[in-house]
Amino acid sequence: MTREEIIAEINAELAEEFEIDEAAITPDAPIYQTLELDSLSLVDLIGIVQTKYGVLISKAELPTIKTFAQLYDYIEQHQK
Amino acid sequence: MNLMNDVLIVGSGLGGLECGALLAQRGLRVLVLEGSNQPGGCMQSFRRGGMHFDTGLHYVGGLAPGQSMHRAFAQLGLLELPWQRMDEDFDHVIIGGRHFAFHQGYDAFVEGLAQDFPHQREALQCFVRRLQNTTTADMEVCAYDYLAQTFSDELLLNVVSAAAMKTELRRESLPLFNFAHTCSSYIESSWRLKGDGNLLVNKLLDTIREAGGEVLTNSRVVRLVETDGRVTAAVCADGRSYEAGHFISDVHPAVLSQMLEDCPSVRKAFRRRMSSAENTCGMFTVQLIIKPGAMRYFAHNVFVYDKPNVWTMTEENSPVKGVMLSARVPEDGSDMLRQVDILTPMPWHECQRWDDTKVGRRGDAYKAYCTEKAGECIAMAGQYLTGLSEMVEQCYTSTPLTYRDYLGTPQGGAFGIRKDWRTPLLSFHSVTTPLPNLLLTGQSIVLPGIEGVTMTAFETCSKII
Repeated sequence: MTREEIIAEINAELAEEFEIDEAAITPDAPIYQTLELDSLSLVDLIGIVQTKYGVLISKAELPTIKTFAQLYDYIEQHQK
Repeated sequence: MNLMNDVLIVGSGLGGLECGALLAQRGLRVLVLEGSNQPGGCMQSFRRGGMHFDTGLHYVGGLAPGQSMHRAFAQLGLLELPWQRMDEDFDHVIIGGRHFAFHQGYDAFVEGLAQDFPHQREALQCFVRRLQNTTTADMEVCAYDYLAQTFSDELLLNVVSAAAMKTELRRESLPLFNFAHTCSSYIESSWRLKGDGNLLVNKLLDTIREAGGEVLTNSRVVRLVETDGRVTAAVCADGRSYEAGHFISDVHPAVLSQMLEDCPSVRKAFRRRMSSAENTCGMFTVQLIIKPGAMRYFAHNVFVYDKPNVWTMTEENSPVKGVMLSARVPEDGSDMLRQVDILTPMPWHECQRWDDTKVGRRGDAYKAYCTEKAGECIAMAGQYLTGLSEMVEQCYTSTPLTYRDYLGTPQGGAFGIRKDWRTPLLSFHSVTTPLPNLLLTGQSIVLPGIEGVTMTAFETCSKII
């Protein structure tokens, strides 16, 4: 998948699953605030990325993902 | 609408009833709603051919003073039940015709196996030390890899794993945390109940009722109602509605997920995670009534495998390659038994072709399949119980379909949701949910088995009291 395809797909998926307006998802937007994540729903985010792309975000690397752009980078770098 | 309850528990499996008893003991008004006509879930027993059979209770570990389950069972009033300590050599393992025994007590466990594997004595000592010092960090450790690194003798690796049929032995996914908890309390000490699992269920029911609580059967909850970010009521299939201050779910997370569809605070992402988790394999159970006077009671379990493939057997178990045998304590005080259970893992795909059938109406092909499978189990059990097939008076079978239809467990999974050391954040669940007054309990949350469910029940209740 190209980066553009990943962005289009994951944005639509996150908007649907977290029930927010897709327009709020921009590359530099803070992921925690935009998706209203807490410790429980953070696990839901990890689950979506794992199910959709087979990419597991490790506990150690979680803190490095703060924006959507960083999430796209992570998926792009780790997808099989 | 009824009077307000402090806590409403959906589901009356061991976890639900333990939560109910613990909270009732603290003076909270508890209401338990059970969808089927009998409380107890996997702990319930049933009657066939004039005998009581158990669904999931075979033995319990760590009940002696100072051991892992003693305090919890004392608090729940369950120590008062007629527990009988099993033989010193409580688990026997037969692999490829060779016979081994597990002894009660960590030192005796090591000494017993070191007689057969003297070159692995140190490895055995390391193993039991690890069992006694398990932490949640072991949720991220592969059980099989740990064992392969600890034991250079592959047969011993299979032997120490052989009695862990109480969980789903899956080489690529099982966390060491689960494996260790499946083994450790039984090595401390092992006990059988003299009587059926309903003794345990009824004791917990009595505790709830004596404190003014209620347990209603035939009350299948289909929907939870959210008001201002909290659950306020549970609605049953027949329209009855019950209010409470706190709610606990003791049903499979996928079943709970359906109840939450109309709750605005629960987003699709949470519901999907709850509903899409993989289930563990189920069990095929053969329950035998033995002819009077034909077989002496044995106070140990026996695990028989045709070869050292303990970890891969669950993937392909047709024909049957391994069984667990458990005898029921004679209730008449005699030393001759009347009931033996034989269990073997059964993946869902083996019975999936009868997915759309119901109990008692699965057709001749299903009956023939069960008869053939039971024959294989009895033949394998015969390696230990010589002449078993001639001693059988009656034989009853159940498959994951039976568990699914009686207990409401998707795919009849015997150990709830599968845990995976590679994805601990996803497969081990928190007891909390997006709704602050809705908590989870039961075997799918952290650990299966009586010990795991009991530990989780205490964790769940700690969020309320």
